[in-house]
Amino acid sequence: MSLPDTSQDIAAVYRFLAQCMQYPDSDWMNEEFFDVLYNLLGTLGGIEEGVEIRKTINNAEDYIEDLQVEYTRLFINGVPHVVAPPYASVYMDKSLQGTFAGNTLAFYREKGFGLKEDADLPDHIIHELEFLSLLAEEKDLTGEEEFLTKLFRPWYQKFHTRVTEEAHHPYFRVVVMLIDFFTKEEDEDGFQPNEA
Amino acid sequence: MAFNLTRRKFLQTASLAAASVPLSKVVSASTGVTKTPLDAKGTFGDKTVVGGICEMCFWRCQLVGKVRDGRLMKLEGNPKSIDNGTAICARGNAGVKLLYDVDRLKYPMKNVGKRGAPKWKRISWKEALDECGSKLKSTVDKHGAQGICVFPHGASAKYPMHYFERTVGTHNVSEASFFQCRGIRDTAYVASIGKAPGEKIDMPNTKVLFFIGDHLGENVHVSHIKQYVQGLQNGAKLIVADPRFSASAAKADIWVQIKPGTDTAYMLAIMNYLVKNNKYDKAFVEDHTEGFEEFAAAISEWSLEKAAKECDIPAEQIKEVAEMLAANAPHVGVHPGRHVSWHGNDFQRQRALACLAGILGAYYVKGGWVPAKGPKVGGVSWAKEDHGHKYDLNYDHHEDEKVYPFNPPGTPTELIRDCAISGKPYPIKSCVVWGQNPMQTIPGQQKMKDLFNAMDFVMCVDVMPTDVTMWADILLPESSYLERFDYIKKGTQWDLSKEHQQYISARMPLVPAMFERKDQIYITNEIAKRMGHESKIPVKTIEEMVDKSLATANLSIEKLKAEDGIHIQPGKDPYGIPEDFTVMLFNEDIEDAGYPGAPTYKPVPDVPKGYARLLYGRAPVHTFNRSQNNVWLHNAMPDNPVWLNDEVAAKLGIIDGDTVGFVNSEGVESATTTTVKVTPGIRKDCVYMYHGYGSANPLMTIGVGAGVDDQALITKLAIDPETGCSGMRNNFVKLIKDGKVLEIQA
Ligand code: SF4
Repeated sequence: MSLPDTSQDIAAVYRFLAQCMQYPDSDWMNEEFFDVLYNLLGTLGGIEEGVEIRKTINNAEDYIEDLQVEYTRLFINGVPHVVAPPYASVYMDKSLQGTFAGNTLAFYREKGFGLKEDADLPDHIIHELEFLSLLAEEKDLTGEEEFLTKLFRPWYQKFHTRVTEEAHHPYFRVVVMLIDFFTKEEDEDGFQPNEA
Repeated sequence: MAFNLTRRKFLQTASLAAASVPLSKVVSASTGVTKTPLDAKGTFGDKTVVGGICEMCFWRCQLVGKVRDGRLMKLEGNPKSIDNGTAICARGNAGVKLLYDVDRLKYPMKNVGKRGAPKWKRISWKEALDECGSKLKSTVDKHGAQGICVFPHGASAKYPMHYFERTVGTHNVSEASFFQCRGIRDTAYVASIGKAPGEKIDMPNTKVLFFIGDHLGENVHVSHIKQYVQGLQNGAKLIVADPRFSASAAKADIWVQIKPGTDTAYMLAIMNYLVKNNKYDKAFVEDHTEGFEEFAAAISEWSLEKAAKECDIPAEQIKEVAEMLAANAPHVGVHPGRHVSWHGNDFQRQRALACLAGILGAYYVKGGWVPAKGPKVGGVSWAKEDHGHKYDLNYDHHEDEKVYPFNPPGTPTELIRDCAISGKPYPIKSCVVWGQNPMQTIPGQQKMKDLFNAMDFVMCVDVMPTDVTMWADILLPESSYLERFDYIKKGTQWDLSKEHQQYISARMPLVPAMFERKDQIYITNEIAKRMGHESKIPVKTIEEMVDKSLATANLSIEKLKAEDGIHIQPGKDPYGIPEDFTVMLFNEDIEDAGYPGAPTYKPVPDVPKGYARLLYGRAPVHTFNRSQNNVWLHNAMPDNPVWLNDEVAAKLGIIDGDTVGFVNSEGVESATTTTVKVTPGIRKDCVYMYHGYGSANPLMTIGVGAGVDDQALITKLAIDPETGCSGMRNNFVKLIKDGKVLEIQA
């Protein structure tokens, strides 16, 4: 049986995940956004996760500010220290713009992509997810796999662990769980190997 | 927590299609990654970018950057440089790590927590600038311009400092580089020779170098070190007064292991000996000094024996020093030093240095103090306006004279802090910190905290989240020296005896600024617009500022780029004394102001029983707290071991490598510990450590808690009476080991 062509759907998922990692702002982080998020979680059997986010948001005086403070602490500058800078090189080279960032940009270029003037660094998680989405749109499955294996998963696992352990807000724990789910390798039988 | 599907299953089912349809409705239309034309890899190959000017320290060596596809891979000295040449120091090299330090400030942030215990929220530039502009304006509206105090530092802080001083009109500006560092040197030399001395000693061509506390080798500035090493290679003798066996002491012909605080007595004895024994330069004294008689009389009490006793050194050694100076005069380099805010008696010590060079005739001659004749380049900034004395805290209105008559530019720090904390004589309610970390540059951390707590508004601009940034309401990220235009660096060839040449260079970015970092012109102008000063803005962009400056020398950014970042032109012979050059051996203006007109020694407090005097200095691979979070430099020197005399250590039962903390004579304990370096190379009554360690800010993930912060232990403030500058070496400590406080037996 041949697999259905899901590439456009996967592209949409990657784009959505990239969106989830943007700095929280009421321009886009509105009711409609959360409905879509809860719907996706529901489809995956993650209703509880959705409920937890909803509860935290409903209980907040200013949920956008809470998410902004948390985003700043987790990904920009935080006290006691920035938890999980969203750049591959930080995990692989212990610096911004290390070799790993260079290799990431080179990979984009090989595939005929580049970064816009106002883009963040090439190895920012948002750009990596955007790139995966563009590869999916082009049905470049091999490229997608190669990028995931060589340039995404090696650092993402560390990033994911840090966010999971240190995030105070369920939104970010759930988002990194989603990213993990959609980028994780599986063995032949569809089992996802345990992290070890 | 895990989803109850596998990815494969999910992707195979119809659920993906169902779930994915609405997804695209809530994503933004554009992406940062975009389709580009295919280019060969070589298109993105390595490039050498010219125009870098280092600012890992103030020396500002000229750089080139090796850039690969937008990433700065390596910094090197600009081969065209006639100053540092291709050489840069360890810190210069490690600039790459500052540029890409993940802890660096990236976006404007607002503190939605408390001052000192911040909760940061990223905000837009517009929101940040609106808040800064409106808060500062409201302070001026309510309390007047004097209601704002400013703590600036570095090349990027000049433009905003001028804005607040000249246009807004506050006197309340305190630069650490003046009030906690070299201001005393500069004003003492102005009062002695009419000019600030810089470090303008013709070291390559000298016969004797005379240092008081200078520790070149640990204190590294590339062309300065080149000059020093060249001088030693050429056979210069070296005389070093230092309680510690410093890198310079280790190379010295005479090491004077002087008691801290007594340097002036030592120099007075040298000068008195030279005068009494007719070993001074009579012709020079006749032609180029004033007040010799009064000077000679004032210092006449300083026999070798008296000084020997005061300084705890042999009289014979002082004589040996004096003889060596006399035998080689006038080709003697009496180094003015740089960081000289030591004991609160420093103006007089700096005067003594200037006068010693005077009676040796060591000005404008080979090997003496020789200001190179550099090129002229005009500057551009906010127009000067007169704001009178009414709100000048350094002005005594009853007496109609200055409180500290020989203050460096700005207002003495303590006057500002006292006023801000007490609200007297007027309220100070907003504070602007720009590139300075007053928590570690200014002694008395509690006082600094009290100042911040007394403010209605605090804003900080910096590249790193230094300790002070924790006290900001709004924190703005500045582009670093590798990401912006600004400073014009000019000078001459480093060895004055070689072909006379001049150079002009301007700082240019080696890579574009990352994230949302902005330069000082943008930030200042935007605040100025919001404070109602738009019409007075002198330049719109930083490029315009640099171009306008360069235009005064018939240059431009474009021309400089075409000349590999450095313009070189013929220079002038710097030797030969100007006719009107005068050394004020006795200065009547100083006497009229109520201070001694001839250099005078004032004893400093003695070390209390059980304590040692805390001394600090520079490490070769660090520029104080500016580099403490730099991973390469941190690895090279991760902490600051405390130097402890070996005999003292034996009595205390301490061995090399032991871990200790400190408590000072006012009961302040160090927050962290460091290791002990047991050595015969330090006097028994002192301990020594490198300055700039032990950051308390957890945002500095590398530097936090590494080593001990000496500044935290400097709680007793001495104020230099002539200048109002801080003296920081009258603090005393005991060691704490395994929780036990140890009495030091010197
Ligand atoms: S001496 Fe070192 S840190 Fe200072 S400017 Fe030169 S290279 Fe940079």
